[in-house]
Amino acid sequence: MLSFGRWSKNGAHAWIFAIFMLFPIVALSQEESANEPVKTVPILSGATGYFTRVTGGQFQNTPSVSPVLLLPVGDKWLLEAKGNYSVTYAKGDEGYYESTSAYNLIYGQVDYLANRYVTIVGGRFTTPFGVYGERLAPPWIKDLQLTPLIYSVPSGSSLGGMLRGGFPAGSQKVDFNYAVYFSTANTNHLLATDRSTGGRIGFFFPERRLEIGASFQQVLQLDRPHSAGLHFVWQPYVVPLTVRSEFVRQSGTKGSGYWIESAYRLSQVPYLRRLEPAARIQQFFADPKLTSTQIKKLGAFGRDTNQADFGLNYYLRYDLRASASYGRQFILNRDSNLWVVGLTYRFLVPLGPTGLKGSTQ
Amino acid sequence: MRAKFATVIMLVLAAVILAAAAPIMPSGEGKSTSPAASDRSAQDDTLRLQGEKRFRANCGRCHTAPPKFAPRMTATIVRHMRVRATLTDEDMHLIIRYMSQ
Repeated sequence: MLSFGRWSKNGAHAWIFAIFMLFPIVALSQEESANEPVKTVPILSGATGYFTRVTGGQFQNTPSVSPVLLLPVGDKWLLEAKGNYSVTYAKGDEGYYESTSAYNLIYGQVDYLANRYVTIVGGRFTTPFGVYGERLAPPWIKDLQLTPLIYSVPSGSSLGGMLRGGFPAGSQKVDFNYAVYFSTANTNHLLATDRSTGGRIGFFFPERRLEIGASFQQVLQLDRPHSAGLHFVWQPYVVPLTVRSEFVRQSGTKGSGYWIESAYRLSQVPYLRRLEPAARIQQFFADPKLTSTQIKKLGAFGRDTNQADFGLNYYLRYDLRASASYGRQFILNRDSNLWVVGLTYRFLVPLGPTGLKGSTQ
Repeated sequence: MRAKFATVIMLVLAAVILAAAAPIMPSGEGKSTSPAASDRSAQDDTLRLQGEKRFRANCGRCHTAPPKFAPRMTATIVRHMRVRATLTDEDMHLIIRYMSQ
């Protein structure tokens, strides 16, 4: 079993040395690809945010930053990495605010655009299951800051290899997309992954902005549970409405459930065109075979839960957004209110010449 | 043992990336002939409209539509989105063209 946590000091030095070796190679490739019709530039992107959450009367203040580094190489390669650092301030047992910091590598992957049908990915990547983890999870993107309850049912991150791609399925009216992967187990507490395999297929109808798809994951360790999921996204052209939904069912102890979310940008209403109301309902069904010990160990995932959330997003600029939401969680004998208010800023910094004089964007 | 393994892996990775960094000739180079200026203009308009259509169809699926960026930034961002959002190759090129104009 692969365990980065036990790597020797020399091993760490080897990695650092190798990473530094990559930088001149990346820079060299930028020069060598000067004859390409479209040149690229490395980019530092990501988001930062500050949120206050009140969960069942417990206050939490959480500033966070999630940098994303994009290093294109030639016209076929992309090295991308995303990290996260956050500090949570919450009242401790003695009534004083205490801080807890957390950091992790969300993904660090090498992408090779092999041809119009296949992209080969290697490294640590977000598990291709549904659409939330890969596309909707960043705080500057998601319409409601609280993560759906079923998000952690399948394994969220993987370490290994993946093939993926999207191409027209016979006509311009429908695009087919897919992702298949294999992940090895990693026991490092910051980079933990399961030994698993799985994939996702989807059909996107661009003329209707409708996407439907299905996902599957088979864990290849411990009690070897499998998960199956469905996803749905619809954005009609005639109104600024978004409807999204995901469903997942697992054979193991992590339960099953679904969520349906809708957001409506009030772009047709004077003075309110920057405002976007959003709402979500979700149900989580705990595994009925759980023992009382397992229920205690699983916490929120040990009991059936219904939840409804309503939120407002206000776009101060395209990259700066204020958000507030209220949710009500219904768990047997444990109903609670969930309040979130905060701000997100998405940044985008080129790390080289952009091809446009006198501008960084 | 693990240090050696890490070094070997990284050297292989560096070699692969170095190979990929070699200049690549565009597939159509040296074969195409220049069309008449008016035809080229009409073709540019068509491609721009197609690019705008693909941009509207794809980019707003997850987030608010961004403004246009500098050409090199656009190329990097759209390559990233091709992987993350499984854009088609054609969509990627049309969106880059549209956002770079």
